[in-house]
Amino acid sequence: MRKMLVVFVALTAIAGAALFAYHPAGAQGGGTIEASVTYAGAPVVEKLKVNKDTQQCGTEAVIEKVLVGANKGLANAVVAVTGAKGAAKVVKAEIDQHGCKFVPHVVAMPPGAIDIKNSDGILHNIHTYSTANSSINKAQPKFKKVMTEKFDKPEFIKVTCDVHSWMLGWIAVMPSPFFGVSDASGAARIENVPPGKYKLDVWHETLGKQTKDVEVKAGQTVKVAIEMKK
Amino acid sequence: MPARARARVTWAGGVVGAVIVVVAVAATAGAAWAQAGDAGAGKAVYERKCASCHGEKGDGQGPAADLLQPAPRDFTRGAYKIRSTADKTPTDRDLFDVVTHGMPGTSMPPWAVLPEKERWNLVAYLKDFAPETFKAAPKTLELPKEVASSPGSIKRGREMFEAIECNKCHGNQGRADGPSRAELKDDWGHPIRPADLTKPWSFRGGMSRTAIATRIAAGVLGTPMPSFMDSVEKPEDVWHLTNYILSLSPGAPRYATLVTVASLAGPIPDDPAADLWTKLAPDTIALMGQVIQDPRNFNPSVDMVAVRAVYNDKEIAFHLTWNDPTPSAGDGARTFPDAVSLQFPPKPSGGPERPYFLMGDASDGVYLLRWENGKGVGEATANGPAKLVPIAGSEAKGIAVFADGQYRLVIKRPLVSKDDTRPTFQPGVFTPVAFQAWDGGAGEAGTRMSLTSWYYLRLEEPESNRRFVLPPVVAILTLAAMLLVVRVAQMRS
Repeated sequence: MRKMLVVFVALTAIAGAALFAYHPAGAQGGGTIEASVTYAGAPVVEKLKVNKDTQQCGTEAVIEKVLVGANKGLANAVVAVTGAKGAAKVVKAEIDQHGCKFVPHVVAMPPGAIDIKNSDGILHNIHTYSTANSSINKAQPKFKKVMTEKFDKPEFIKVTCDVHSWMLGWIAVMPSPFFGVSDASGAARIENVPPGKYKLDVWHETLGKQTKDVEVKAGQTVKVAIEMKK
Repeated sequence: MPARARARVTWAGGVVGAVIVVVAVAATAGAAWAQAGDAGAGKAVYERKCASCHGEKGDGQGPAADLLQPAPRDFTRGAYKIRSTADKTPTDRDLFDVVTHGMPGTSMPPWAVLPEKERWNLVAYLKDFAPETFKAAPKTLELPKEVASSPGSIKRGREMFEAIECNKCHGNQGRADGPSRAELKDDWGHPIRPADLTKPWSFRGGMSRTAIATRIAAGVLGTPMPSFMDSVEKPEDVWHLTNYILSLSPGAPRYATLVTVASLAGPIPDDPAADLWTKLAPDTIALMGQVIQDPRNFNPSVDMVAVRAVYNDKEIAFHLTWNDPTPSAGDGARTFPDAVSLQFPPKPSGGPERPYFLMGDASDGVYLLRWENGKGVGEATANGPAKLVPIAGSEAKGIAVFADGQYRLVIKRPLVSKDDTRPTFQPGVFTPVAFQAWDGGAGEAGTRMSLTSWYYLRLEEPESNRRFVLPPVVAILTLAAMLLVVRVAQMRS
């Protein structure tokens, strides 16, 4: 009973805070960070012959552990501003299981809910490896098009599917609302960052972490180059 | 605390009293899951009975751990496979049940030999290894109302089995041969096998209806088996699935100790799928891993074979059925041809002395009827597993078929042998027989096999009128003898 009351109060507080946070206080007069993530090494791509569901999965599975594009651009790196106060535009996070791959391969989200879709229409299972949040392992059969899961604590969560062992994805639950994920050319854009001096944290699933100093000025775009190393 | 609380009620009003009642109720509810085990006393039992596998620190790194597969549980992670709860935290009863009943199919034995109090103490101590997990009370799993088994429920269960694609791991007929089998790993990265749903007695958490429904609903933590509670069409489908799964097996293996060879008047069919074979009730024989000679087989793949046998005036035939989730003709490196053999002494009526059951030895050989994937059926002699010599001009023949994780094989041979390297089968004689099996797809070959020690087989006597004639004759003779004895006694007196 008492526990329920505590939970209720906490939930009310969170809901209130969330409502309050919807007014983007720091958005006005913010600056933009354009991060360019590069990696000089070779791409790491594993290939596997598929023995089932070839209609949806194709005959060859490609596991993209390190994806390097033009001009050494490194894809799928999470870039986040630490210490910035305020709220960014909130879009509900979403990850899809499409072609027996997690799309996107890395999804960054604020603490909260994420929609997990199954557009393949075959059995997948969402198996997460986490320590701060509870690990989940839930079946998502063909008729279950969307599942909503909550991840409340900041953490990089590995997501796999045991039915298709090559499937690998990451859900990056970020403590600050200012983050981005680098695209195929290695570019990540973070908008409406309140002016100030911050640490810019970069994370990649196999290449680890790096931190850079960054200064954001109102109405300006600051470019940051980050070279990831093994 | 309740005493002090009650004292407060005397001077305070009913409001305070109500609050105390609420707190007391909450405390009692909490006590229901926290059983009164003594962790300190549990430590002593743990160090004596558990630490050699699970490690002194509970990290699953005991001295024997490297020899065990599946690996012993790492208690410090607080992840338990067998839970009756909706989240990570098991109930004390869940832990107590695993300690008591063990984990079938693993190295974890049942510890019912320990007094109940000691087992509860152990549970208390185990929880201390992962305080984080046990900080919160377990979340009760609400199973829907039980649905009794019926043809309709089993049919719905099969539909759901197909809709949620249980076959991906467990196979179309539940024989653990699904296409994802080879890829499965547990959360620690160790390869793990799906359960063979046709052998519920091997289920880790037990084979009761509630246990099976709970595994489907809550999943098996730390393994690829996910939770299906929110992923079936209707909640009661977990019961339909349970009923379907239980319909796949005879309930218990009912292992035989004697193989009966039925007498047949007509010809024996070659086809393993022929009607005759399905009509005969099988004798089920249990196989064990070969752990006497190196390299040993601690985790055998084939653990039972169903035997049906018939003979007529010319031939004897054996029909064998066994599950093999990984059919293989062998690549010669990591996989080998699947094989099975029936073993007999060369002279079955040679008295109580039998050759060494492990394929004979240097002085006493054995005779084998053997099938190997790719090579087919043949006869062989052996003087130990390493000395197997095919008999030239084999008179054995046979056909094997494979479907959905199961082999069915017919091996035939003339009833009477032409020479003394092979036995002649005679009705009414108890003939020693043993079995060996190799799942080559799982890397089994040579001494890495499953096997039995000697069993017996007996050819049923052909039906005759003797049974109607002999007993009356014996009765009359006995009566005559008795009369004679009486007569003699009377004459003497």
